[in-house]
Amino acid sequence: MTTPVLDRRPTPTSSATAPRRSLKDRGTRLLAALFLAPTLVGVLVFTVVPIVGSVVLSFFHWDVIGTPRFAGTDNYTQVFTDDTVLVSFTNTLIFMVFAVALQLLLALALALTLTNRMPSWLRSTFRSAFFFPLILSAASISVVMKYLFNQDFGVVNWLLGHVGIAPVPWLTSEHSAMAAVILVYVWQQFGFSFLLFVGGLNTIPKEIHEASSLDGASGLRKHLSITLPLLSPTLLVASVVGIINALQVFEQPYVLTDGGPGDATRTVVMVIYQSAFEQLRFGEASAIGVLLFVLIMAVTALQFRLSRRFVHYQ
Amino acid sequence: MTDSKFPRRALLRGASYGAGAAALAGVAASWDRLTAADVHGRDDHALVVATLGSAVDPAAQRALSDGFRALHPGLDVRLVPVQATDWSDFFAKILTQIAAGTAPDVVYVATEGVQLFAQRLGVALDDRVRRDKEELREYFADVHPSLVESMMFEGSLYQLPVEFNAADIYLNRAVLKRSRVEVPPPDWDRDDFTALLRTMKRGGGSGFTPYFWTNRLWGGVVPWLFANGTNVLAESKAPGGDWLWDTFYPPRDRRGRGGGYRWARPQATADRVEEVYEYLSSLIQDRLCSRPEGGSGTNLVGVFSTGRVGVTPAGGFWAGGLHTAGMRRDAYDVQYFPRWRTQRHQFGAAGYALLKTSKKQDEAWEFIKYSVRKDVLTQLFHANQTTPARRSMVHAARYEETGPKNWPVFYDTLDQFPATGPIPAPPQAAEVEQLLLKHTGTALADARGVRPALRHLQSDLEKAMERAT
Repeated sequence: MTTPVLDRRPTPTSSATAPRRSLKDRGTRLLAALFLAPTLVGVLVFTVVPIVGSVVLSFFHWDVIGTPRFAGTDNYTQVFTDDTVLVSFTNTLIFMVFAVALQLLLALALALTLTNRMPSWLRSTFRSAFFFPLILSAASISVVMKYLFNQDFGVVNWLLGHVGIAPVPWLTSEHSAMAAVILVYVWQQFGFSFLLFVGGLNTIPKEIHEASSLDGASGLRKHLSITLPLLSPTLLVASVVGIINALQVFEQPYVLTDGGPGDATRTVVMVIYQSAFEQLRFGEASAIGVLLFVLIMAVTALQFRLSRRFVHYQ
Repeated sequence: MTDSKFPRRALLRGASYGAGAAALAGVAASWDRLTAADVHGRDDHALVVATLGSAVDPAAQRALSDGFRALHPGLDVRLVPVQATDWSDFFAKILTQIAAGTAPDVVYVATEGVQLFAQRLGVALDDRVRRDKEELREYFADVHPSLVESMMFEGSLYQLPVEFNAADIYLNRAVLKRSRVEVPPPDWDRDDFTALLRTMKRGGGSGFTPYFWTNRLWGGVVPWLFANGTNVLAESKAPGGDWLWDTFYPPRDRRGRGGGYRWARPQATADRVEEVYEYLSSLIQDRLCSRPEGGSGTNLVGVFSTGRVGVTPAGGFWAGGLHTAGMRRDAYDVQYFPRWRTQRHQFGAAGYALLKTSKKQDEAWEFIKYSVRKDVLTQLFHANQTTPARRSMVHAARYEETGPKNWPVFYDTLDQFPATGPIPAPPQAAEVEQLLLKHTGTALADARGVRPALRHLQSDLEKAMERAT
């Protein structure tokens, strides 16, 4: 069946209406362009130009004060031989894996609990409570968390002391600093994935669960065979956004540990900031930025490629 | 609808819209509002002075600019307080302004940035100081030569010191009383210091840390390096500067002075440096001192004032900070840093630097001279948020309300120990600081980490210094 809307064949009409419709179409297009223009200009000025600028700058030596000097691929050579940069990429990847996994698991578990087990009058309270940290400033949260995780005076160690656990050097030991940064990050960030999952779970038709119950499926089986596959598009979105954000983590390690002890929690964006604004090596910082951009693009592309096999659209 | 009515109605409507729009435009035009010209550096009218926002309170800043305007009615000055967590952050923001083409005329620069600004952006003040020497004679007579020398680079003077802070030791009197010990004498040494920490620890309980310090360039590991007669970068003096010493200082103060400090050769693996790290590591292992934590030490005021920390290194700036936190003047005291091989102290100083991009250099120089006047500094530093560079301002009345009782220590750290010097801050100070903090964290995170961490520090410092040349 062909609907009239989709029928684009020319209809018999008088010669006078054709130019009028054409004018109307042109007007519509012009109006659409006018509405889109602010966004397009914004994207062009604030996204495209800086990206192109960064790529160009990565081939120059520039310290802000003097004139940029062409460096060829020197900055990239420097970046690939700099231990701190390489460690920061490793740290960032480790951070991404654990932070995103923990964030998604926690968000999913809480979303399932809230949707299935919680009385409806409590749901909105918890939804707001879990989302609340996300709207706070990451720097402010990190300052507070720095107090809480302080080895000598922090509340966390004070509480652990009550159950006989010796003070943990959360932020000053190479073994625990990354864990502390991940915990703080996940605590703040999981609210976004949580909201996505709550929304996703609400779109799964109840009839499917009811039918599976009649067929004798257990709770776990229902989650594995029904909930997860039907939630997979939401999982994809949450993981893509989560990974992109995690690869750009800056505030939490910067405030909590300043990248230390040593380089234990130094992330790529921290190295970009320090290279550019503390060491005045803007070319090198841009080269690192370009590499991070490529990494994010590659990981995201890989996710979308894998999604063809694992994501099920209803 | 008739053709004759439409134009008249439309005309009236148009006229009323036009009148409304004109009225709105008139109101908007007369409203005191921000425009692009309000971004400093974009108008050629005012002299733009960038200061560290948190260093001086807004009322005092207004006093500074109002007083200058009153003295020079033809000159307008715009103070731009830049909020930053530390000096490194502050310089990053100033450099961003310079990159954006909105460079200030005058910038408040601390030791950490003196040589960077002098080498790349600053204007030497030598000719102007020579020209106005009679006017400045009283100032230099009131300021310790070590502070002035810290503002020199390769024989030239780039700033007039406004304030400084040397790392002395603050002691919580309640903790001392609880431990039944007195404030240590001025000539105490490292062993006395360790014994004091042990005594404090015995009576302190589980939530108490005898010695707390923050991992940073000023007041971190560096005071211990100075006390042990060493540094991570070998220190020497540039030639020159005689014109200044001969003009303003008596012979006894000229001895050993030069044209500013040089820090060029890394020596992080030197025995004395290793001794310092081993000592701090042993304090950490014995739980006499905190592990080095990065940051600005903002939580330190709270834990010190509530007796959860016994001693900590800080400068005169802390007198005001503790008073603001509610600590009584007799609840704490201050003493020199303990002697090790030497009792040399470290300090950081700050003053206004004139940028070569400025088109108002003469006006800027007038402002710099104005900023070091005693009456101006008295207004600026009324809350004891720092130690004034002028000796005559460090007196009993100043510390009457805030304490400490042993306030003369602040300036005597210079007068009694003339070798006291600035923290190591070559032009690439930001990178040096970052490397020092990073490897100090590693060295002290593990009992066996000192030697490997210092080897890495040495290697990284060598690369940084080599890159700079």
